[in-house]
Amino acid sequence: MIRRGLALFASALLAGAPLAAQQPAHEHHGMPGMAGHATPIPMPANMVMMPGLVGLQPGVTPFVPGGGVDPGTLQPARPAALTALGDGDTLELTAGLVRRTIRGHDFVMYAFNGRVPGPLIRVPQGATITVRFHNRIDLPSSVHWHGVRLDNGSDGAVGVTQQPVPAGGSYTYTVHFPDAGIYWYHPHVREDVEQPMGLFGNVVVDAPDSDYYSPANGEEMLMLGDLLMQADTLIPYGADAPDFALMGRVGNVLLVNGEPGYALRVHRGEVVRFYLTNAASSRTFNVSFGGAPIKVLASDESRFEREALVPSVVLAPAERYVVAVRFDRPGRYPVLNAVQAINHFRGEFEPEVDTLGTVTVDSAPAVPDHGAAFDRLRANAAVSREVERYRKAFDRPPDKRLTLTVHTSGLPLATVQFMTIDTAYYAPVEWVDGMPDMNWLSTSKQVRWVIRDDATGRENEAIDWHVRQGSVVKLRLFNDPHSFHPMQHPIHLHGQRMLVIARDGVPMRNLVWKDTALIPVGSTVDLLIDASNPGAWMLHCHIAEHLGAGMMTVMHVDPTHGPGR
Amino acid sequence: MTAGRSRFAALAAALLLGGPRPGPYDIALHPTPKAPGASGSARLFAAESPFGIGVTADGQARYDIRITAARLPRPAGLGRFTRYVAWAATPDLAHWARLGVVQNGTSTVGTVEMNKFLLVITAEADSAPATHAGPTVLHGTSPSGWLQSFLTHPLFRGIAQ
Ligand SMILES: [Cu+2]
Repeated sequence: MIRRGLALFASALLAGAPLAAQQPAHEHHGMPGMAGHATPIPMPANMVMMPGLVGLQPGVTPFVPGGGVDPGTLQPARPAALTALGDGDTLELTAGLVRRTIRGHDFVMYAFNGRVPGPLIRVPQGATITVRFHNRIDLPSSVHWHGVRLDNGSDGAVGVTQQPVPAGGSYTYTVHFPDAGIYWYHPHVREDVEQPMGLFGNVVVDAPDSDYYSPANGEEMLMLGDLLMQADTLIPYGADAPDFALMGRVGNVLLVNGEPGYALRVHRGEVVRFYLTNAASSRTFNVSFGGAPIKVLASDESRFEREALVPSVVLAPAERYVVAVRFDRPGRYPVLNAVQAINHFRGEFEPEVDTLGTVTVDSAPAVPDHGAAFDRLRANAAVSREVERYRKAFDRPPDKRLTLTVHTSGLPLATVQFMTIDTAYYAPVEWVDGMPDMNWLSTSKQVRWVIRDDATGRENEAIDWHVRQGSVVKLRLFNDPHSFHPMQHPIHLHGQRMLVIARDGVPMRNLVWKDTALIPVGSTVDLLIDASNPGAWMLHCHIAEHLGAGMMTVMHVDPTHGPGR
Repeated sequence: MTAGRSRFAALAAALLLGGPRPGPYDIALHPTPKAPGASGSARLFAAESPFGIGVTADGQARYDIRITAARLPRPAGLGRFTRYVAWAATPDLAHWARLGVVQNGTSTVGTVEMNKFLLVITAEADSAPATHAGPTVLHGTSPSGWLQSFLTHPLFRGIAQ
C-alpha cells in the first residue's frame, strides 16, 4: 500500500527534526500596538495580536524556496505561453527555481518551464498527450491533472497513485482529455508551499464544436492567487508541516497570473471570454468587472444547462468558471475582489475590496459586434439531455454521508479561549483571515481536519469506500457548524465528474458537471457522482493546509470486471 | 413564559451549555405584546446562484427565507389589516426591504441581500405595501447577530484601538 505513511515520508524529506510546540520568537519583544513595533505577521488594519500569543512562533522549521540562493542568479519568471498540443504529442514539463519580482522585491520561487503560470496547454477534446515531468526544485513534487478523467496511474496523487518525485527525479504522465472544459495542473505534495510559489497552470480542452461557447472577441486566462508578505519579506512556510492549519494561508497580496496588477485593453462593445481559475491555497474570491455585465457559461467540466447573468463570480479554491463580459463604454473597468470581512474587535462586517487589475476600453467599436449574441441567454440542450440520464437518482437516499469537522490538541491557550467565545457565530464563508496571528500559530501537528463517515465513524484515510465502476453515487456532505473552528471547505474529487444536485435540501435548477464543490459552514450539499473511471481517487478539501492537516479520503472505483464489494 | 421566550431561553441555554444549537442559518422569532401567543422561526437558504454560495457583487449574502409561524391572530383583529408581511431591516432600522407575505405555517419569502439584519413581521393593509405601517407581531435577528465584539473582552485586556 503506497499511501500509508507517505505524507510523513514526504514531510521528512523537507526538513530536519520537527519541533513539538510553539517556540518563543527572539526578534519580537514588547507589547503589541506599541509605536513602531512590527508584528511578526501582518495583521488587518485596526487589529493587533492577542496578548496571549505575542512572542510565539509556529512550531515548525521555517522554509522558503531556494535554500539561500541569490535570486539575482536565477532567470526571471516569464508569463504563461500557449502550448497547443495534439493527440499523441509529448510535453517536457520541468519544475524549477526562478526569480520572481513582486512589488519591486526579488524572491526565489518555483515555475513550470520557467513560466508563471505554467504553459497554457490547449488540446482538442479526446486527445491523449504524454507529459515528461522533471523535478528540479528543492522539494519532492508531482503533477496532478485537476478535474481530468484520466487513467488512475497518471493522477499525480502522491500517497495514493504514486510516490513523490524526488528532487532531481522524473515521472511520465499519460494524460487523456475526454471532456471539453477548463482544467489546471499543480503538484500534489505540500501544495501549501509549491502552488503559491508558482507551480500551477491551465489546460483548455476545446470541443470540436466551434460554437461551443457564445461568441467573444477575445479570450483571457485568469489564474487567481495570493501571497502573504510582511513589507518586503515572504512569510516563511513550515518545512516539516504546514502552518496556518486552522484557516489556510490567506495572502495579503492578491495576484492574477502571478502578478499583482492585471491589465487588458479592449475596444468599446467587445465581449471577452474569461477563463477563471482559483489557484489560491485558501481564499475564496468574489470577482466583478466594474459593473460590466457578466454571463456565466461553464464551470469545471462542462457548460451550464443555461447561461445566466450574474452580479459577480464566486470561486472557491480549485474551482473554475468560464464567463463572458461585455465592455460597453470607453473607460477603465476595475477588476475587483469584493467581500465582507469580519472585524472581530467591532463584531461587525466591513467591506474589503481589492483591485486585481484594470480593463481599459478605447472608443474604437468592436469588430465583430457580439452584443446581440451576448444578450441572448443560451440553453445548452446537450448538457440537459445528459443530466437527464442521471435524474432518476436525484431523489433517492444518499449512498454515503460524510461530515466535515476538525480535531485539535495543543493549541495555545489564548487561541482556545478566543475560539470558545468566537464560535457563537460563524459565517458561511470566511472570505478573509480576521485573526491571522492565531491561524499562523496553528500547524498540522495540532490541527487535524476530518472527513468522517457517518455510517462507521471512520475518519479520513481510514474510511474504506468502494463503489462499482459505472455506478451513480449520491454523496451527502455536511459541514459541521459546531466544531472547534467551522469553516467552508471546497471538496474536490479526483478523476470523476459530479453534479451538485441540492444545497440544504433545495434542488439546484441549472446543473453543470463539477469536480470541486464549495461546502459552506452548516450546509448540507448533495453530490451525484458519475463513478465511471476505475481506480483509487482522492476526495479532499482543496484548502492546501486542510489537506496537509489530513482532510482527505479515497473513493475506490472497482472495475466492472475486477474485484469489488 | 411565551413560546417565543422559551425558544429564546433554549437557544441561550444551548449556547452556554454546548448542547444542540441552531446552525448559522436559523433565526428565532420573538412575539411582541401585539401578538403575545404567536411564535415562529426562520431559516436562511442561499439564494439561487450558479456558484457555491449566493452573494452580491460587494459580497453581501443573498438569502431566501423560510418562515414558520404559529398562532398569528387574524390581522383584522389588530386594526385595518389584512396580511402579515416580512421585512428585512438594517440593524439601525434605517432601511427596510419588503420580503413577502407570511401566514401561519410555512412561507418562503425573499430575497434578502444583507449579512446582518433584523427580520420583522408586521400586520399590513395589503400584501405589497411600499413601507411598513402596521404593528410588529414577530421579530428576530440574523444569525450574524451572535457575532461577538472583542473590544472590551478580558482576552484583549483593553488593547484594542
Ligand atoms: Cu477545508
